[in-house]
Amino acid sequence: MNRRTIVFITLLATAMLLPLFAGEGVFSGMVRNYAAFRFSHADIPVHEITADVRFEYYGDMGKLTLHPVAYSSPNKSLELSLGEAYMDFYLPSTDIRVGMQNVIWGEAEGAFITDLVSPRDLRSFILADFTEIRKAVPAVKVDHYLGDYTLEAIWVSHFVPFSPPSEDSMWRQAANLPFPPAITATILEPTMPKSSLENSELFLSLSHFAPKLSWTLNGGYQWGDEPLVTSVTTTGATTRDIAQGYERYPFVGGSLNTPIASAVLRMEAALAIDKPMNSLDMSANPPITLEKHHQVQTLIGLDWNMFGAQWSTQYLMIYTHNHHDQLISQMKSIKEFAHTLTFRVQDTFLDERLTARLFTYVELDPANALFRPSLSYNLGDGVILEGGAEIFVGDEEGTFGSYQDNSLAFLALRWYF
Amino acid sequence: MKRISILMLLILSIVFTLSATELDGKQVMWEVYNRDSGDTMSANLIMTITNARGSTRERSIAQYRQNRNGVESKLMFFLSPSDVRNTSFLSFSYEDGRNDDQYIYLPALKRVKRIASDSKNDSFMGSDFTYDDMGSRHPDMDRHTVLRTETVNGLSALVVESIAQGAEDYPRTLSWVVDGQWFGLKKEFYLPDGSLGKTLTIDAFDKIDGIAVITDMTMHSHKQNTSTRIQMQDTEFNLEFDPNFFSERQMKIGPRR
Repeated sequence: MNRRTIVFITLLATAMLLPLFAGEGVFSGMVRNYAAFRFSHADIPVHEITADVRFEYYGDMGKLTLHPVAYSSPNKSLELSLGEAYMDFYLPSTDIRVGMQNVIWGEAEGAFITDLVSPRDLRSFILADFTEIRKAVPAVKVDHYLGDYTLEAIWVSHFVPFSPPSEDSMWRQAANLPFPPAITATILEPTMPKSSLENSELFLSLSHFAPKLSWTLNGGYQWGDEPLVTSVTTTGATTRDIAQGYERYPFVGGSLNTPIASAVLRMEAALAIDKPMNSLDMSANPPITLEKHHQVQTLIGLDWNMFGAQWSTQYLMIYTHNHHDQLISQMKSIKEFAHTLTFRVQDTFLDERLTARLFTYVELDPANALFRPSLSYNLGDGVILEGGAEIFVGDEEGTFGSYQDNSLAFLALRWYF
Repeated sequence: MKRISILMLLILSIVFTLSATELDGKQVMWEVYNRDSGDTMSANLIMTITNARGSTRERSIAQYRQNRNGVESKLMFFLSPSDVRNTSFLSFSYEDGRNDDQYIYLPALKRVKRIASDSKNDSFMGSDFTYDDMGSRHPDMDRHTVLRTETVNGLSALVVESIAQGAEDYPRTLSWVVDGQWFGLKKEFYLPDGSLGKTLTIDAFDKIDGIAVITDMTMHSHKQNTSTRIQMQDTEFNLEFDPNFFSERQMKIGPRR
């Protein structure tokens, strides 16, 4: 019996058995038909139908949430996953959530600074909906409320890594391996940490919610979501095996938001302590080694209303301590200081039926950017038609400029039920 | 001479007597503002938005309100349509005139977000009501004058003209306020050019727990020829809310108490 069948039977059995217990269940969800046209190739590399179903069962003790998601693309097998499946228990001053769940931390929009509990699904680079870019983790999350304070503890039983683009994906970038043409290097699948109590992850957070200033302090001991090269083995005169694995490190951080006149100021920062990174030195043997460096990420953002529209801007800076030019991440150089700006403007028209939105990433060195304009029209009865573009421009060495050939326009029809 | 003096005294005494019992515009609007509306309230709102072509959209909202220590706390859960279900909105409005603090919870994002609050004149959920219309406008924000008395649906109503002190989308309004009960029956909103922008009519009201409640009202925007009807159902007053009900936690849990 394959995994897909097991998931389906589990969902069906749960839906059939639950009415036996006191409570009420609610089905909701979204079906989306999405197609993208790529300008440079004049092709349609993506045509995907997504069924995102949510079943919530409210009982006296709390709530059960099941969130299966199915993706279907032409000439590809159906992909079915149990996106989230958890139970909430509501006690007088404590909420407990157990199961596969997304955890979202921080104040940043489109950036992940303290938002490190749930890894990211980067199979479409960063273009997935903000609601779909995170992957659920198997965890027990406890929130204890003391007046305006919330103490949160999260235990993640099994490490879940990020999802990279598949080998045949247009978002996959070939690794620039540091070997002469005569050498054939094979990158092995990353070795996962053994599933054990010792290898589980732990996160803590203390937050204060108040009109004048809301703040959060958080930290964790976690595995890095992206694999690192752990060894290079000479397997033959002209062959090398590159082994990958995951390394863990602690981090501390925090965020806050506060009103400034009629605008909102947001700030966030995280310090990764002795974060493992790869170093590339062609003159050394092996050429790729592991090092540890402190790394600081900071963000400041401002949201305001003007001319009836919503505006937002953010500045993100990443600093790597004891930096040198050999440091790499996924075979790309790490800068000592990396600067990124984001900009968003959003407005509605026609009695809020039409929403116009522009979100932009701008990387400063090298100069490159991603523009994400979109228009969505609410046809009524939960049906929304959306069209837009993802435009990559600038230096091809940059995070976004390297995808210039993937600039595309998209059309999507969503039905919410 | 003596006859004229007695007549003058009589007239003057009548005038002074009348002046002593009549309230001026400011006093009337303070009576409206301070009218007992319960320290706490919960209700289900059905909002029906009709566009110029006559097609309608409906939104249903569970609303909770608390007035305590000069702060009005409001928590709203959007129950339908499906694309906004379980979205919640929390606001704190202050008697001292400070900007409101507003937050939104989007269930798909699982995050409570503080939103910029300078949006009193913005449309509420795409309707003909603004955020200002949905709240209580402080009487000191306008200059008020009682123009006349009219009978509306058998009730004696004072017609009060209010001129905004600052820049507003509708700098002049006329309110029909039920004399002695201090709730509105009708309100006209005038644009800066003097033309009638929109009209609010109260279609039904009721008394629940001794408190007058508007249960059905319609805002009609004349230029766009659109209208929004709000029906209030299952209204309850003076409930006991948990001290932490108007909070991030409740925004995420939903309307279940």
